[in-house]
Amino acid sequence: MNVTYNWLKEFVDFDLSPDQLADLLTMLGLEVEGMVRLGDGLDDVIIARVEEKRQHPNADKLSLCRVNTGTEIVDVVCGAQNFQSGDTVVLAQIGANLPGDFKIKRSKIRGEESCGMLCSEKELGLATESVGILVLSADKAALGTPVFQALGMKDTLFEIGLTPNRADCLSAVGIAREIAAKLGLQIRLPASAVVEGPEAVGSAIGVTIDDPQRCPRYAARYISGCLIAPSPEWLVKRLNAIGIRSINNVVDITNFVMMELGQPLHAFDCSQLAGSRIVVRTARDGETFTTLDNQLRTLESTDLVICDAERPVALAGVMGGLNSEIENETTAILLESACFNPAAIRKTSKRLGLHTESSHRFERGIDIEGVVTALDRAAALIVSLAGGASAHGQLDVYPGKTEALAIAFRPERANALIGINLARHEIIDILERLECRVSEGEDGVLLVTPPRYRIDIEREIDLVEEIARLNGFDKIPTTMPVARITSDRPSRHQQLQKKVRNTLIDMGMNEIINFSFTDAAAADKLLLSETDPRRTAIKLLNPLIDEHSVMRTTLLSGLLETTARNLNFRSLDLKLFEMRRVYLGRDGESMPHEPISIAGAMTGSRDGDGWSRPNELIDFYDAKGTVEALLEALEIGGISWVADAPEPYYHPGKSCTVLAGRERIGSVGEIHPAVLDTFNIDKPVFCFELDFEKLVQVSRQKVSITAPSKFPDSSRDVAILVPDSLTSEKILACVRSVKAKELGQVKIFDVYKGAGIPDGFSSIAIRIRYRSYDHTLTEDEITALHKKITDSLVQTLKVTLR
Amino acid sequence: MREQLEQLKNSALPAIQAATSEEQLQEIRVRLLGRKGELTALMKGLGLLTPEERPLVGQVVNRVRDELEAALAIALSEARLSAQTARLQSERVDVTLPGRRSTKGSKHPVTLIIEEVCEIFAGLGFSVAEGPEIEHDWYNFEALNFPPEHPARDMQDTFFVENDLLLRTHTSPVQIRTMLKQKPPLRIIAPGTVYRCDSDATHSPMFHQIEGLMVDTGISFADLKGILTVFTNQLFGQKTGVRLRPSFFPFTEPSAEVDIACVICGGKGCRVCKGSGWLEILGAGMVDPEVFRHVNYDAEDVSGFAFGMGIERIAMLKYGISDMRLLFENDVRFLRQF
Repeated sequence: MNVTYNWLKEFVDFDLSPDQLADLLTMLGLEVEGMVRLGDGLDDVIIARVEEKRQHPNADKLSLCRVNTGTEIVDVVCGAQNFQSGDTVVLAQIGANLPGDFKIKRSKIRGEESCGMLCSEKELGLATESVGILVLSADKAALGTPVFQALGMKDTLFEIGLTPNRADCLSAVGIAREIAAKLGLQIRLPASAVVEGPEAVGSAIGVTIDDPQRCPRYAARYISGCLIAPSPEWLVKRLNAIGIRSINNVVDITNFVMMELGQPLHAFDCSQLAGSRIVVRTARDGETFTTLDNQLRTLESTDLVICDAERPVALAGVMGGLNSEIENETTAILLESACFNPAAIRKTSKRLGLHTESSHRFERGIDIEGVVTALDRAAALIVSLAGGASAHGQLDVYPGKTEALAIAFRPERANALIGINLARHEIIDILERLECRVSEGEDGVLLVTPPRYRIDIEREIDLVEEIARLNGFDKIPTTMPVARITSDRPSRHQQLQKKVRNTLIDMGMNEIINFSFTDAAAADKLLLSETDPRRTAIKLLNPLIDEHSVMRTTLLSGLLETTARNLNFRSLDLKLFEMRRVYLGRDGESMPHEPISIAGAMTGSRDGDGWSRPNELIDFYDAKGTVEALLEALEIGGISWVADAPEPYYHPGKSCTVLAGRERIGSVGEIHPAVLDTFNIDKPVFCFELDFEKLVQVSRQKVSITAPSKFPDSSRDVAILVPDSLTSEKILACVRSVKAKELGQVKIFDVYKGAGIPDGFSSIAIRIRYRSYDHTLTEDEITALHKKITDSLVQTLKVTLR
Repeated sequence: MREQLEQLKNSALPAIQAATSEEQLQEIRVRLLGRKGELTALMKGLGLLTPEERPLVGQVVNRVRDELEAALAIALSEARLSAQTARLQSERVDVTLPGRRSTKGSKHPVTLIIEEVCEIFAGLGFSVAEGPEIEHDWYNFEALNFPPEHPARDMQDTFFVENDLLLRTHTSPVQIRTMLKQKPPLRIIAPGTVYRCDSDATHSPMFHQIEGLMVDTGISFADLKGILTVFTNQLFGQKTGVRLRPSFFPFTEPSAEVDIACVICGGKGCRVCKGSGWLEILGAGMVDPEVFRHVNYDAEDVSGFAFGMGIERIAMLKYGISDMRLLFENDVRFLRQF
């Protein structure tokens, strides 16, 4: 909502600067989002008179002027031709700063001193083009008056961001009422007495409402003998100041009164209305109608139309029709001022994508009791500016009349909820300043009837808010609540989320956050099979772009996209993870499942490149190691790694399912080269994805610790030659199968293939630690135990010792 | 013989002092004091002396040997020290080369802010609550007093999904879900992902909010001011000015926008605060009785406040990020700075 300082002054005598007013409005909840000072900084640009004009001695096209500023006579050199001695002109004095940061300085032009500049409209920012300087009528203002003040254009525009509840402030008067209420001042309403002719309105026009539910009130006046002409200067300026283009006197008046009082109005060319009558009815499905913007609209039965005796002439509350618009030849006018159902107007406006100043107001609700006042205000202005005569009285069809309801209001409740302590009379004073009618009810309860234009005030709490607002939020003290203690430890689910993040950070991974929506083609890029449940993603009905049209079912496609993007920026060493929800539809249930998934992607150098260690590339075991560390941090045991080529997007030989007991908790592997191609990645990438919800289920709550032995450990190594088909898991299991309480940690410390080892085999070196809890093991004891283990390896696994 | 001993001593001491290495000193020791050493050889001459002279010369022998031993010991420790000093000198490293460590990872700034805000409120006795992102209209709008076809719904452009569901436009439905499950007293904080059908330099179709809710007996708007003042001071520094001004949210009344004194210019007015000296950082208000009615709380018995803030906005202010899109581009050159 746009309104200017001068305009508001017409309704309230406030004594505030524009800055103070802006602050007052903002602190009332009418947020001033922008301020434009018209003519700001132009106080040195004044009204002056040319006393003498003569030819510049050294330049044909210039003249030398003696200019009277009201206090002195100064010399000014001027290049314009369109003026003469005695003319009233606009002088930019030395020191003035014209729009466009044009500073006026004392100068010499072709040897003659010039103490200022005579200005054109363009130079003053009043017009985009102008010829010559601005010459004013002599009676405009006293010499020396700043020009914007003289022209009545010094003003401040406030751009107010209104919240949807404050429909009453979609007008200058509405905002003025707020100022008056806050400052305890009286408001002056604009005159609305209409000079009427003898003809009764009912004999000229007729109004029928067929749908009173959607049109509770329709009032009209008939004005004949008008002359459609350009609007007078004051009206054009006022509309321009708030950003409305002038059209003609009658249309401008309807717009002006809407901005002044908040009531949308419409003027019909009465000669175009069949039967000179109005019928308000529901549209017929498929009915067509051309609105003022020259668009053919197809209507539905949810739309409300204003018709004449035969056809629609306006889309109620949204826009008038081309068939009955005011033209230059129009002389007879039917002026409409009505009230429509907010939801109905909103529905039509949304469906047609047609948002107008009128629909904006009706959607939010207008003052049904102000309908006739606005009608009369506009009629009075039309009669005064466009001539003609108004028929006697208004047609006012008002089937939806209701009585204003009193609200039971407890002042002590307001004090308690706000945390203040206003006296009863102070509260009553605030309510009365808001034009509420206040009377005493029973038990100290006040009966408060809000003014009809405050359609947002219906309940006691609404009045509580008014008390807080008018008294001032800044007057509310700052206290700490007194509360009962409750137990509020983070849930296990929340604690483990934090633990996972911290563990992955410790492993050198960077957390990313991708959008939850993705491309429907993401499943194809991951080569998911046609029957994969991750293909049945939840679809957005109104996506912004196709790439964001479905909710993701896996984090991997996003991670791979992020990987590709970073590689393109030459960040080649990446360890990324995301821990967020995925969205899975559930058969037979309306609400989808939103489990948290954890996924990582890594590529490039293991430790980043540096001077201090070999630059080794990340491989499968880095991804696996990260998963191991994570599972260890969550105290998850019984893990197995099953090389069953778990996902189509993995390298079949370098990937596995991760099981905790029998529960599948995720997978890890190198990304398949065909998938890398779809993401335009030319480096190997290693990924994992784990189901966090399952991790929470299998995570052990208790950690059990065994005390270390008080006697030293000893270790023995064994190297064996094993075929590739034999997994290290089986070898370690074989070692462990020798049940001996002295057996400690068993660790593979070398895997070697190459020279001296036959193809299809590797040499595996195992370090076994032995210890006893009751004595230091002797050489003989260790040797005997170690032999038992190596024998078992040879006999059970048929491997060769090296 | 005494002269020979003195001579031996006088020639040996400079040799000991001249020696520079442990090896040379060992050689000297062997040459003087070893089994075939010079002193040992001289001592063999003791037997030729008279019994009267023998103890006297024996004393001289002992003194000379002690002196030589002492001189050798001092020289030896000096030699060792200088050898060690020389070795340490030669082992000098360039301490300005970067150290060896495992590369540090990083949490996303949105996560960092969520953790920090939750931690501040944990200290005030608020526990973390969560709810679904794909929501029913009832939880996201109706129970929060947004009637169907109400213009207030225009404040939040909504993504719709199949089965009459939508992507929640704010974290406020968590209030409803929590109040339906629990009876007062209640103090929760609900961080989460939210969605709006809007995308430009200052709007992202997905972003994050944190919602707070406190319900108990006798809670007032002044208490809301207190909690928010404590919170903003903890988050932005002890003396951050806080301003509440009237606003409108369907689910709170009275409602307020909460501004803090601009953290960039300190309130003098700058580009970030558009010259106003204030930054809008959250919305708040007293829970509307209509919301209590939807969750079967009696507004005559309990009262409460709710507030909500955008995480991205706070992250941008705290870290001086000027473009919100940086937060979702996931460029590691950006992420590694956190």
